[in-house]
Amino acid sequence: MNLTKHWAGQLDDYAIDLAWSPDGALLAAASAAGPVALFAAADGARRHELPGHENGTNALAWAPGGRALASGGQDGAVRFWDGATGQHTATAAVGSGWVEHLAWGPAVAAACGRRLSLLGPDGTLRQALPEAPKTFAALAWRPNAPQLAAAFFGGVRLIDAGTGALRKEFPYNNGIQALVWSPEGRWLVSGNQDPSVHLWIPDEELELQMSGYETKVKHLAFDRTGRWLATGGGRDACVWDCSGPGPEGRAPAMFPHDAPVCALAFQHRHGLLATAASDGTVMLWSPDRRQPLRATVKMTQPPTKLAWSPDDGQLALGSAQGAVYVLRCENG
Amino acid sequence: MIPVTVLTGFLGAGKTTLLNRILTEQHGRKLAVIENEFGEVGVDNQLVISGEEELFEMNNGCICCSVRGDLIRILGRLLKRKDKLDGILIETTGLANPAPVAQTFFTDEEMRAAYRLDAIVTVVDAKHVLTHLDAGDESVKQIAFADVILLNKTDLVKPAELDELEERIRRINAVARIHRTRDCAVPLDRVLDVGGFNLERAAELDPKFLEPEYPFEWAGVYSLPAGDHELVIGHDGAEHDHGPGEGHGHAHRHHHHRGNENELDVALLPVRPVAQTHMAALEKDEPGFPSPFAVQEAEALTAFSGPEMKLGPGDPCRPGPGLLRLLLERGNGRYPLRVDEAGLYALFEGCGEEPLHVLVRGEPVKPGWQRDYHHSHSHDDAVSSVGIQQTGRLDPQKLNQWIGELLRTQGGDLYRMKGVINVKGKDQRLVFQGVHMLFDARFDRDWGPGPRMNTMVFIGKNLDRAQLTEAFQACLT
Repeated sequence: MNLTKHWAGQLDDYAIDLAWSPDGALLAAASAAGPVALFAAADGARRHELPGHENGTNALAWAPGGRALASGGQDGAVRFWDGATGQHTATAAVGSGWVEHLAWGPAVAAACGRRLSLLGPDGTLRQALPEAPKTFAALAWRPNAPQLAAAFFGGVRLIDAGTGALRKEFPYNNGIQALVWSPEGRWLVSGNQDPSVHLWIPDEELELQMSGYETKVKHLAFDRTGRWLATGGGRDACVWDCSGPGPEGRAPAMFPHDAPVCALAFQHRHGLLATAASDGTVMLWSPDRRQPLRATVKMTQPPTKLAWSPDDGQLALGSAQGAVYVLRCENG
Repeated sequence: MIPVTVLTGFLGAGKTTLLNRILTEQHGRKLAVIENEFGEVGVDNQLVISGEEELFEMNNGCICCSVRGDLIRILGRLLKRKDKLDGILIETTGLANPAPVAQTFFTDEEMRAAYRLDAIVTVVDAKHVLTHLDAGDESVKQIAFADVILLNKTDLVKPAELDELEERIRRINAVARIHRTRDCAVPLDRVLDVGGFNLERAAELDPKFLEPEYPFEWAGVYSLPAGDHELVIGHDGAEHDHGPGEGHGHAHRHHHHRGNENELDVALLPVRPVAQTHMAALEKDEPGFPSPFAVQEAEALTAFSGPEMKLGPGDPCRPGPGLLRLLLERGNGRYPLRVDEAGLYALFEGCGEEPLHVLVRGEPVKPGWQRDYHHSHSHDDAVSSVGIQQTGRLDPQKLNQWIGELLRTQGGDLYRMKGVINVKGKDQRLVFQGVHMLFDARFDRDWGPGPRMNTMVFIGKNLDRAQLTEAFQACLT
């Protein structure tokens, strides 16, 4: 396996989010201070510099299969941009707090405090959903079904995209930090404050709780097959086998770092897992192999985000000092 | 780690005045202020965030285990910056219990790693605080939780009333630093980054409050020349070296002799050289000056708990470690005292009422510094403070067990707990702090070359000093 530096870019502040355009041509990188840079995947040329949000940008989401980009920020707004031209196309004011979570599926789901809105691609409000008792802390669209999972301290709501109707509410009596669906939509998983990982199979009324973490679990990732669930929450990336009846009673694989894990990402079409720790170490793993560690890269700055390009050929890394690195990854 | 200041106080006490002062003064710090939702502060240059209080009840709605979810979120976001902030200021609503704010910094690993709860600053309206204190719990709590108290609006109250007020506050919280202010005018280094939470300046604590239950009641430090002197006990001698009317006014209203009336335990310990200025300050009894005799106090503690050497009248003695048990005849006794080296000597007396003199060439000498160890605490406020200060090494397991048990059984009543502990086998100080049932402990820096003094402070309801002290001592190795 060969991992080489492809290009690097620089933001004016902490790289708070990274998102590849669905065609793989652009990498959008948001600075915590506000501006969003659109880099050309091929050579790192800065195609466009979007102003983003006053007082800071929090999250990015591309339209599935398209070239429209949404951003959420500290100004309580979701802004829409044309990725090809860099033009600002629409703004949706969704609340007075921070838009911290954004997910683009059948609609653009935007969480702002206790409010959750479903927006159209032109920024129009489709559904203003009932307020949650506490601030929304994570959003995830269900693959292969028009359903949105939205978590807050106290539980997860499963919402119908078309009508905005609440299909189900899964109570969870603690803070939730992250949500992820397995690719076939079978498992819904939350990473929790308590610290633990909670798994539901919504269609089978089954739930599991996996605990024993060092710290709250803020990072979750499923591999393309839905078998491996990678979780943060300490110095190890802890990988559970979710095949068949799920992880209960199975020992997880522990992929060790020397510092707390701060980002995780599985490839889209292949099986590599990238993990990053706050000491700057980035590692690649193959959970299926006997010797899972495939590569180690050391960054001089604390990493903030990891994102695989849609074709898995490039791995983008963001840093606390605003650097954006793109590594070329050749499987071999 | 970024210092966090929590600002509490009743509505109208002057919190907003203080906030505006902090935000507008040129102090060169880049701060973020998290104000409550009704905040009225707005200043360029500094970061002002309006938060809406959101409680995360971790354990069936128990306030002692609740944290502020909004703070975890906002403070988490504030870490996502290229340049770190110099400080965070959190304003709480007038009626808010500050516990969940403090607890947020103990339970969340991310918060713990990035932030340091520096101090809880409580602004008190000198004009109205008594009414508040009499009326209820919340203002008592705000005072109990405080590391720094601004006694504000002093212009509206007479100085004598202020003294009284301060006394009342002290009874609730013996360790907070109290500043008297008008319009919250206070140098900002008394409010920001003061290290209030970690007992960094334990020596500034009121020594009376910190006193353990010493097995001795009085000590005097004498400057003695080399030679043959005499230690004289009893009413037959000249006037008493200490006691009422001596200017140190700690009269013993209730005298209970410890043990046998015809025995007196003493320890005479040499004192390391003390800086002249220090000695002068001590003679003036300047408040807040640390006792330079802590070493001797600790040695005396050891001596008084060890085996004694019995001396009958006329038996000679010398300064040195160990306990001397003077056998008296009808309350009197004379004991030749040989001093080989001129210097300062600390004489500890088991019973402070026993007349005691040191005669040099037949003339009684006065101690240059003296102190009573006998004191009582009034309990007219249900909330009070207990301090323990003692040398020795603590067994980490026993300590853990004790604190765990204490928090389980008394956590609801314990508003604040802080300590600097000498743990067996560790060269670093173990610094801990707690609020209700949650606490945080970490090793910080190495102990200095001096004696390793354990300090523990408890503020809360229904505190039993004797029980806490005993439990602490049971953890010593």
